[in-house]
Amino acid sequence: MSFAKPTTLSREQVAEFEREVNAIRDSVMNKLGQSDVDHMRNMIRISRASEIGGRALLHFGVGPLSWAAGVAALASAKILDNMEIGHNVMHGQYDWTGDPALNSQTFEWDIACDGEQWRHSHNVTHHTYTNILGKDRDLGYSLLRMTDEQKWKPRHWFQPLANLMLAMGFQYGVGSHDLEIGRYKHGAMPKAEFKARLDRFLTKVGKVWFKDYLLFPLLALWSAPRVLAGNFCANLIRNLWTYLIIFCGHFTEGVAIYREEDTRNETKGDWYIRQLSGSSNLTGGRFFHIMSGHLSHQIEHHLFPDMPAHRYPEVAPQIQALCRKYGLFYNTGSLFKQYLTVMKRILTHTLPPKRLPV
Amino acid sequence: MQPFLVPLHDTVVPVGTLTRCAQAVNSPLIKALRHPWVESIVRLSAVEDALAALHPLLSLTTVRARVVRIVDETATTKTFVLQPNALWANAQAGQFVRVQFEINGRRVERAYSLSSRPGSRRIAFTVKRQDQGLVSAHLHRTVAVGDVLTISQALGEFVLPGALPSKILLLSAGSGITPVMSMLRELQARDFRGDVVFAHVCRAPDDLIFAAQLQTIAANFAALRVVLHFDAAAGPFSPAVLAQKVPDVAHRSTWMCGPAGFMDAISHHWEMEGLSAPLHSERFAGAPILPSTAPGTPVAVSCMASGSIFTTQGAEPLLVQAERAGLTPKHGCRIGICRSCQCVKTSGTVENLQTGELTSAPNELIRLCISTARTDIVLAI
Repeated sequence: MSFAKPTTLSREQVAEFEREVNAIRDSVMNKLGQSDVDHMRNMIRISRASEIGGRALLHFGVGPLSWAAGVAALASAKILDNMEIGHNVMHGQYDWTGDPALNSQTFEWDIACDGEQWRHSHNVTHHTYTNILGKDRDLGYSLLRMTDEQKWKPRHWFQPLANLMLAMGFQYGVGSHDLEIGRYKHGAMPKAEFKARLDRFLTKVGKVWFKDYLLFPLLALWSAPRVLAGNFCANLIRNLWTYLIIFCGHFTEGVAIYREEDTRNETKGDWYIRQLSGSSNLTGGRFFHIMSGHLSHQIEHHLFPDMPAHRYPEVAPQIQALCRKYGLFYNTGSLFKQYLTVMKRILTHTLPPKRLPV
Repeated sequence: MQPFLVPLHDTVVPVGTLTRCAQAVNSPLIKALRHPWVESIVRLSAVEDALAALHPLLSLTTVRARVVRIVDETATTKTFVLQPNALWANAQAGQFVRVQFEINGRRVERAYSLSSRPGSRRIAFTVKRQDQGLVSAHLHRTVAVGDVLTISQALGEFVLPGALPSKILLLSAGSGITPVMSMLRELQARDFRGDVVFAHVCRAPDDLIFAAQLQTIAANFAALRVVLHFDAAAGPFSPAVLAQKVPDVAHRSTWMCGPAGFMDAISHHWEMEGLSAPLHSERFAGAPILPSTAPGTPVAVSCMASGSIFTTQGAEPLLVQAERAGLTPKHGCRIGICRSCQCVKTSGTVENLQTGELTSAPNELIRLCISTARTDIVLAI
């Protein structure tokens, strides 16, 4: 990942690109209807059923097989709740329905990240300033050095380990993201504000711990260790999976990053191009797309964050064709291939930059 | 109609035992389920969905009602008779309910006056099909016996007082007959001994809603005199016609409901003549949609929660306008992406600056950073 080269498109071409992307957006947004709501309610039903089934297996099952099935069901429920349901609803993809259960500003999810704090760190910061160095705090999550443009520090020697820790505890990474600890430490955030943010985060952590690590194990009586371990593993699987999908969305090879000064006067067309070149897709079937919350269509998601995500596979071929027409790079590949390039970047940037010979 | 938090009339509404039981169980349960720590374990929406799956009328929070009968009143008017669940807390004659529909995935609400007799377990509202009406067409075409509708509790101040005046006029036009019909039923049920005139205006006898019931009541209710005016044959209705048909109108406490033009004419007449008898009216069409002004025309923006009102300057987005007026609405990206500034626009017309689209729907969600006001508007913030 390096700074985006200035686009070779003329201003007219960028304007034309903007018009064509808008047309694709309008063609879908104008036909939203019952099928979209039905899809989301169906996902909610599946997630709830999967959670009830998973917890029942963990509580009342006997033997390791039912334990593993329970973990799988509970992990799937959490993945659906966080990715296909929570992430998408909180983007406002279903605000047009007027259903209070699908309202972006009040939705809350089953993860150690407070909904309101996520709406700020994700919807406001990440989606507005995508891949602008110093502005998009999702770039390496203030933990990893992902590009030569980020200054190397000795702590980056431990980057592979930090990456593993982030993957395993991803919900806490996402949850504490909006605390902006770095800003606080540099004195750029008043203590009172940091304290308020910290309280909010810890309250949410308390809630999920109370549920998964205290209440449900206690309800299971003598099966408490089995339930505790099951809940822990389900959370761990969800953490690893969300980490994997999200890292493959922005940190693969060929993803461009931007300088703040280059994005100051950008038009909507420029914004579209930045979103496009700052994201990468994953190939797969319908099940895979749903389990990734359709973030496997990260490009389409960044172009149209408030379009119901299950529509992305429908617009993807049109966006891809548009990229061919304008000679823009449409970054897509299998999960395996894309993640290899992510790992390569993490490992390469572990090392300090080579000094140029004087 | 005034849809918001209408203070209840001083007449005490008898609440059924069933409703009292339901509320006694419900209130602590809902309070517990709404507690943030409980909500993080089991969401209220999940409980509600599970109850609805068990039985479509079951709910802890909302009045749901099953359509048990649909009556064709005229060629274009139907009455929907509903059996509400135990949360229904009764209504007074003349009140309305807000009925919620989901049409092609979108929630819409309409207010309908109840035409049923107060106190009955079954409730009814009567709807005329409008040519351009999304919801009335849906009701007429799609809603069938057995369907379950979500409704509000009864609302509205258009009701009869506890102590009745001796001379009453119930005046209506077109489908405005519904609330006053309910009042007439109440007067009969209360064995009103005074003098009531029921005056109704419609196009022709074929368009007369509740014709048979009106006849039955008239035959059994000595205090009642029915005056009908069919304007297709008898010419347009005017206050002069009213004065001619009901000579003592000046001394009658009047309740009226009908199209805006009709009610404006009567109110005007009342003012001009300086009539002392009280005139109560119910506007059953929502607030009229004002014609939108040119971009940049100063308009008034009322913010309900903060109680402030400001006037816009220029065509800048509402977020900028509000900040200039000293308000601090929640916001984020300021370019229409993050929805942090999303809020409910209660009434008025706004333009979406990104699409150029003008929308006037009541209670719609708008983003302040990409919307401008094109009429006077009311915001929930």
